[in-house]
Amino acid sequence: MSETTKNRLLLVFALLLAAVYLFPLYWMYITALKTGSEMFRTPPSFWPDEPQWSIFPFVFQLKGMNQFLWNSTVIASGSVALIAVLGTGASYVLARYRNVWIDVGLFLVLMLQVLPASLMITPIFVLFTLTGILDFPRTAVILAIAAKSMPFFIVLVRATFMSVPMELEEAALVDGNSRAGAFWSIVLPLARNGILVAAILIFMQAFGEFVYSKSLIQEIELQPSSVGLNAFMGPNTNEWNRIMAFASIYVTPILATFVLLQRRIVSGLTSGALK
Amino acid sequence: MRRLYSSLVDGRGFDLCLIGIPLVFLIVLSGVPLVYNVVMSFQAVDMFSLGSFIRPWVGFDNYRQLISQPEFWPIMGHTATFLAASIAGQFLFGFALALLFWLNFPGASWLRGLFLVSWVMPGLVVGAVWNWLLSGDFGVFNFVLHQLHIISGNVFWRSDPAFALWSVIIANIWLGTSFNMIMLSVGLSSIPDDLYEAAELDGAGALTRFWTITLPMMRSSIGALISLGLIFTLQQFDLFAAITSGGPNNSSNVAQYWAWDLSFKQYDFAKGAAISVIMIVVVMLASVYYVRSTRHEVRG
Repeated sequence: MSETTKNRLLLVFALLLAAVYLFPLYWMYITALKTGSEMFRTPPSFWPDEPQWSIFPFVFQLKGMNQFLWNSTVIASGSVALIAVLGTGASYVLARYRNVWIDVGLFLVLMLQVLPASLMITPIFVLFTLTGILDFPRTAVILAIAAKSMPFFIVLVRATFMSVPMELEEAALVDGNSRAGAFWSIVLPLARNGILVAAILIFMQAFGEFVYSKSLIQEIELQPSSVGLNAFMGPNTNEWNRIMAFASIYVTPILATFVLLQRRIVSGLTSGALK
Repeated sequence: MRRLYSSLVDGRGFDLCLIGIPLVFLIVLSGVPLVYNVVMSFQAVDMFSLGSFIRPWVGFDNYRQLISQPEFWPIMGHTATFLAASIAGQFLFGFALALLFWLNFPGASWLRGLFLVSWVMPGLVVGAVWNWLLSGDFGVFNFVLHQLHIISGNVFWRSDPAFALWSVIIANIWLGTSFNMIMLSVGLSSIPDDLYEAAELDGAGALTRFWTITLPMMRSSIGALISLGLIFTLQQFDLFAAITSGGPNNSSNVAQYWAWDLSFKQYDFAKGAAISVIMIVVVMLASVYYVRSTRHEVRG
């Protein structure tokens, strides 16, 4: 068997596996496009008879999705902004020096990364009630997400700063820059890509966040899409085409971003996560 | 004043400021809740005392009551099953896929990245989709199993107490396989090629090479990945909320869902805190192992 045939066979096999693996995603879109009776047919149809495209604007209107998506965006943007501003500086310092204190700091950061949100929400809820932060539910969620995700951001961005040569910064200092000036005009621009990738990953995580939003936000008009989707799925629901339409509208922007930036996201993730 | 300013811009103060503010933020929003959680687990907390700092001290009563509850040991058992099955499934599927993509045919790296969509999707969406796939009467998962002659009647994945936990495990394996694959791919690509060439010259077959080179060389990444898997699996909450809500009759309830359920459905914050403390200790132990197994890399 020649090398090319072998490669082709492998590619076909891998494509088949990918199709099986991504089938749940396909099924989500296809179910959304089916009519109420078609989706309960046995055997199930793998292509809709008459695609119901109107279901997307219908569900969007019915569930007031613009408010849900807006809240998700506000929460995700707020968390990313807070994390990026605070986390970038921390990762820079953690990357630039090597001593016992840095090791202690890194250890703390790694330990904070692992606390499960559903276990931390009990004390956070009580503390936020006591301090009155709970009167601003979306801010409360942003603060909680920032505390939860910042360690992950620091781990990723620190790896980026490690790859910026220290000599460039030293040259800038010799040229008369202050430390802050060198950081701002030399180091940051060089680390821009890594910071951007980490920020996008954090944004996608925060856009889908559920535990904190579900527990801290009572008002429906302030809830993000994840909580909206959860409320839509009652215990004995039979509106699966509408639920899948809701899910499709919610997840498509994330999927599109991911597919467009796939290469960068994967390399950013692998550079930091195991280090 | 000027010395303070110049230190902030050009000296020690600059570093201290950059690291200090985030550290204070993390301590206030993660460290303080962590400690407060322990305090709360020794207090009597109800809806009326929720708003006050000073509450009656009850010692280990919350823990004692928690352990004597009939659902305590079953839920701990489910947690262990959920952890073991999820981690094993994610790891084995992930490793198999990583080995396939390691063959490096054209398009391999692009396709490999595509698998990661399962990992970037919101957990609630993954849960909703699997909830529908695993539906008893009309689920396509049952249909496929039926066509393959694996089952004869419909399995009621979500409502049958024997299968409810497994419906969440299946969804969780799907969700985490891609992440495992990506991480194992990194480990695989760091094994030097000449080791394989030398072994091949010595007449070692593919299987021998796998056992004597690949596995031993991957030992530290496998250790790190499995402890990372433990950490991630203990964080899994969304799938339970979207597929079974811990039911029917707690048959798919696990510790991390139970803690939330106690606090926010039954308003028993003290018991919620107690179970959280127990589980956080478990997570901490796993993460110490994780940090240790990546220690040589932490120093960069």
